Amino acid sequence: MNQTSGISRPSKDGTDWPALLKDNSRTGGQGTATARAPDHARWQIRLGSSIRSAPVLRDGVLYVAAVGGTLHAIDAQNGLSKWKFQAAGQIHSTPSLCGNKALFGCDDGKVYAVNCDSGAKVWEAAVSGEVWTSPVVRNGVVFFGSADARLYAVDAETGGKRWAQEFGGRIYSTPFATEKQLYFGCGDGNVYSVDMTSGKLLWRASTGNGIDSSPAVTVETVLIGSEDFFFYALDANTGAVRWKYETGLGIASSPAVAGDLAIIGSKDGYLYALEIQTGRLRWKTQVSEVVTAPPVVGDGVVCIQAGGLVALDLVSGRVVWRAGLGGAVQSAPVLTGDVIYLVSLDGEVYALE
Amino acid sequence: MDRRTFVKGTFLGGAGLLLHGFAVRAQSDASAPALPPIETHGLPQVKPSPLGMPGLFPGRVVEVSNANAIARNRVAQPEIKVMIERGMKELTSESSLPAAWARFIGPADVVGIKINPSGAPACCSSPEIIREIVGGVQSVGVPASNIFIYDRYAYEIDVGSYQALVPPGVRVVGIQDAFSGLAGYDMNVYCQANFFGEWETRSYMASIVAHGVTKIINVPTMKDHSASGVTGCLKNLGYGTFNNVARSHRPPYSFTDPLIAVMCSVEPLRSKAVLHIMDGMRQVWHGGPLTQVQDFIHPAGTLYLGTDPVAIDTVELEAIEQKRQKEGAPSVWEHDPASITSNYQEFFHNPSKNLFYRRPGHIAAAGKLGLGIADLKQIDHRRIA
Repeated sequence: MNQTSGISRPSKDGTDWPALLKDNSRTGGQGTATARAPDHARWQIRLGSSIRSAPVLRDGVLYVAAVGGTLHAIDAQNGLSKWKFQAAGQIHSTPSLCGNKALFGCDDGKVYAVNCDSGAKVWEAAVSGEVWTSPVVRNGVVFFGSADARLYAVDAETGGKRWAQEFGGRIYSTPFATEKQLYFGCGDGNVYSVDMTSGKLLWRASTGNGIDSSPAVTVETVLIGSEDFFFYALDANTGAVRWKYETGLGIASSPAVAGDLAIIGSKDGYLYALEIQTGRLRWKTQVSEVVTAPPVVGDGVVCIQAGGLVALDLVSGRVVWRAGLGGAVQSAPVLTGDVIYLVSLDGEVYALE
Repeated sequence: MDRRTFVKGTFLGGAGLLLHGFAVRAQSDASAPALPPIETHGLPQVKPSPLGMPGLFPGRVVEVSNANAIARNRVAQPEIKVMIERGMKELTSESSLPAAWARFIGPADVVGIKINPSGAPACCSSPEIIREIVGGVQSVGVPASNIFIYDRYAYEIDVGSYQALVPPGVRVVGIQDAFSGLAGYDMNVYCQANFFGEWETRSYMASIVAHGVTKIINVPTMKDHSASGVTGCLKNLGYGTFNNVARSHRPPYSFTDPLIAVMCSVEPLRSKAVLHIMDGMRQVWHGGPLTQVQDFIHPAGTLYLGTDPVAIDTVELEAIEQKRQKEGAPSVWEHDPASITSNYQEFFHNPSKNLFYRRPGHIAAAGKLGLGIADLKQIDHRRIA
């Protein structure tokens, strides 16, 4: 973890998973995590509340936000609770880890920063709408969108407001931060790029319907899905459409980047692997009736929570194993190589090995 | 009516209604269990509203069709805007759209928009329609923060991405966190019946309906339903307001008739449901309510507007019957034991198969409870193309 910049980076051994889709590069994993078919649960716990966000992991602690409003810190070795923090509203936001703080958005219109050792609140930043996006940290600033149609920047140490910028719709798309720019989708159907220091609009690109998907950015290309059924590749500097690929229904899933491929799910039930440069379909595989969650990528394997946990061969798209647990709308597993950490809609947390 | 009302065969009026049901059973599913008494316990001291079902225009159904409203499975927002404006004006005979909305909603109202996200994403209340309704409600002065888009299951709302797609400021509420939980329900308002020996015999009314909103705009979808024949206005309201409703149908038998109707008659649900706009952009003619099989989803491009849910559902039932007949599928009234399957895949992919003996009689039952007009001949069905 880079303490000075507050960037959510993976640890040297690759097992840490401090942010949505692993880290700020939003690759959705990769590394050497093999994601072998699990044959048993190291542990399993029930939190007593639905879970609709993804877990994150660092230094042997799994952080899980439950809809009931509790952030749980769980010993990844044995599943025992280290501490709990109770927020005032429901939580749909995937936590992110910054320095010694766990950050998450809440339906009470606040983003909370909680000390990772004690579970004590460090700060809270109040806005005027619920926050379902995962806080993204870059250069000591936390960025998040809200249902109040604003994108916010607050200080990572204090929660003090840096800037807020209003857009045309609700923001449920977690922004992607590069060195100078932020990218996110919006309920008004636009993909926006804004200046990181001011929130000033740099460009916008229209799609045919609202956006629930969170973007990934790689090789100067913004990758994002829309409810208009299309998956878009946009020029990161101008917003110009480089290519778009039509799926069978809307896209709420967020892409994972695996080498030269973007992996994305669609509500039509398929997982698609598209070449980032060209938009050419490498493979598509039906994994369930509906896919809304983001995929993650292990060593040669793509995992997605769709009905249960499904693993596909990254090269061919062939389903290599299924685990009949882990039903989810927007959650994604954490892959560490030895263990797969998984949460489910009905409030279960699993460590599978 | 007394606070504690026992709904039995006689109350439902029942000689005709019950005899109809028994007659069907005698032809085919003679072993079906008998209808038990249904006890309802509404919110006390509710003064019935003249806007409540059947509302300002009993028996009137405005059908607005537009072939361009849905293309390549996408709903066209500009077309929806025009269709709702035309439909609202026709329904109310008002010359302006805000005046039409003002017949039902006032600035001080807290408005619930009851969506149907079950079946998402293949067939659910279209966000494009919800956006226009929100705009209409706001046009009479209701602030966005007093508009609640709601349904029972939060995860189904998530699958439909409604949170991201509706206008800023409005609230999106899932009554239940996951698959169980009573926190969102008023334990003093309920329907009670023991249909199949189930452990929990009560179904409780959602608190957002009992106490949270003052008016409800109902936005059902147009679907065949494996147990109730169709899921329309009445089922979206009744089974979307009370919990623990799946217990009313146990393959192959169903007591959705009359439970759906009875639930809709319970105050304050009956008084608060002032307008119904059925989303007929997609017409599911087999496999409802949860099918994702596009083969049985017809892009009808139609809206039905009215204040009388019984009349709208009667028209809907007729339309689905016609579509099934055209496609060679058996009537939703058919009770042939050979049609019953316990194989979900077979059911979803074969229109001749079903999980239950369907019971669309809840529509007529609602008519007998005074919620509207179920006789097609008496319905003022206005078509706008």
